[in-house]
Amino acid sequence: MGAVTLTGVRKLFGTMEVIKGIDLAIADRELVVFVGPSGCGKSTLLRMIAGLEDVDYGAIEIAGRDVTELAPALRGVAMVFQNYALYPHMTAYDNMAYGLRRAGLAGAEVDKRVRATAAMLQITELLPRRPKAMSGGQRQRVAIGRAIVRNPEVFMFDEPLSNLDAALRVEMRSQIARLHRELQATMIFVTHDQVEAMTLADRIVVLNGGRIEQVGTPREVYHRPANIFVAGFIGSPAMNLLPANLHRGAALELGWGTRVTWTAAVPALPDNAPVTLGVRPERVSLCDAARAQASGEVTLAEHLGDETILHLKVSDGVSLTVKAGGDVAALVGDRLHVAFDLAGACLFGPDGRRIAPD
Amino acid sequence: MTAVPAIERRRPAPGKLWQSLLYHAVMLTFAAIFLLPFYWMTISALKFNAEIFANPVSWWPDPVRWENLAQLFMRDDFPFLRQFMNSVFYAGSVAIAVVLSCSLAAYAFGCLRWRGRNLVFALTICALLMPTIVTFLPVYLAWSRLGLVGSYWPLIFPFLLGDAFFIFMLRQFFLGVPRELMDAARLDGASEFRIWWQIVLPQVRTALVIVGLFAIVYTWNEFFGPLIYLQNREDMPLSLGLFTFQSQRATEWSISMAGSFFTAMPMVLLFLLTQRLFQQGLTTSGLK
Repeated sequence: MGAVTLTGVRKLFGTMEVIKGIDLAIADRELVVFVGPSGCGKSTLLRMIAGLEDVDYGAIEIAGRDVTELAPALRGVAMVFQNYALYPHMTAYDNMAYGLRRAGLAGAEVDKRVRATAAMLQITELLPRRPKAMSGGQRQRVAIGRAIVRNPEVFMFDEPLSNLDAALRVEMRSQIARLHRELQATMIFVTHDQVEAMTLADRIVVLNGGRIEQVGTPREVYHRPANIFVAGFIGSPAMNLLPANLHRGAALELGWGTRVTWTAAVPALPDNAPVTLGVRPERVSLCDAARAQASGEVTLAEHLGDETILHLKVSDGVSLTVKAGGDVAALVGDRLHVAFDLAGACLFGPDGRRIAPD
Repeated sequence: MTAVPAIERRRPAPGKLWQSLLYHAVMLTFAAIFLLPFYWMTISALKFNAEIFANPVSWWPDPVRWENLAQLFMRDDFPFLRQFMNSVFYAGSVAIAVVLSCSLAAYAFGCLRWRGRNLVFALTICALLMPTIVTFLPVYLAWSRLGLVGSYWPLIFPFLLGDAFFIFMLRQFFLGVPRELMDAARLDGASEFRIWWQIVLPQVRTALVIVGLFAIVYTWNEFFGPLIYLQNREDMPLSLGLFTFQSQRATEWSISMAGSFFTAMPMVLLFLLTQRLFQQGLTTSGLK
């Protein structure tokens, strides 16, 4: 079926290497999300799998076939683009039928498949319309229909929700999740939106600078980030990354002098080794001065209704983000005290990799 | 409800009014200067030969000689209608050839990625700097060896190989076509030729019309090429036919003017009907 395997895949634009040796196995029927900052190579990697970019080194297999040198149309993939990429001069029907006609299907079969797909996506009434006579959400549904109608082994989505407004994005997100359940197909989804990644993915692939930083389930990459980059990238607001020194594997001296007890096992490190403590903002709580492990001045207070995001300046160069309840009325300039819940915290070694928990 | 205070509507400042009047006066004067030769051509076509040079100048034909126009279409020594059709064929063929060949080249330069693309495009643009006269002799000899001098092949065929100016112009439009449309078509199994024909060309229809119009105007007025390659009066386009008639019948000014009128009029009408596209073409190509 639609398993995708990438082996040592590299891509160069001129002398610049943009994909630096990717090894990845995507299981059949899995929904994998590529996330990463702008320019990390996630869209390029997707386009390489689709055959829209050449592979300079390595190999790509889809459903057990080596497709590295195959034309896009022969790979059994379909793609939904960020700007929909519907042919403006064709109706929705013709947009959906175009690929089937190119594949040489008979007119009756084309008609049957287009109408069946349109019915599934509830876009039958859009079939006679051209893209300019549709809203953004309708265009996106037609674009998804164009992908589905070809019955591909692998669906690819290149930031398909970026151009939609917030409400429509939520609706389309749930529709894509539903389609994944119904179609039981392999899907690769590219996004820079972490909410999309966390809600849709079976597994998330975090990319940075053309390399994979981590592959894991949404829970894994959130709670057990492989390194400082993933810890800082996944989660909004981002994980607090605090400089510290580890004493005899049991005590952490934080950058501003506070000592906290570290109970989780850590690999052997020299005494007083420089490490980084990673604490999610929801694991930092406001407290009174007596229990405080850090104190700081509020530099920004974001009152979001059900919660309040507070940014504190703890010491020079060290700031903290705190996710507090919606009833917290702190203002910029207030001095607050906080304590850490280290149960879900991570410790990163001098090379930036997570050393605890295992 | 509170009453709206009665205030006088703002009037343009007197300085601005005078500025506007002066502007329009200058523009109208220039328009009259440019239109005067057309007016003179038109009334001369309807005068006796002697009346054209009468002193004082006669600004309206008296009597109006409509028969001059009838004569134009019936003379044996000036096959006007045949030459008009030759011009239509010549301009139409060049327009089609230019649109097809240049859009193919522009697709390659604007929509495909290939090694050396920018270098080849730069060389193509360099062709713009090469005066036609420099390559004229070897090209003429080649056509002569092929035995095609005296036909329209030397005048039309080169445009099937593209034209640097039109390639440059179309490439600018092609660069505006979203790359994702072509990617989607590739995923749909379309060949590059089909993508060019079925997906990209419909997006740049306006540009194709503009290029076609430019090619028609250029070819309609083209004189040097037909002068070199065509000898028979029946084969000549109007630009050359009119010149030949004037050279041979220098005194028949009213017939010449009638011919000039019917030669210029299709281009004037074409421009009036499509001036928005012409302006768009000029701004895109950076020409003035």
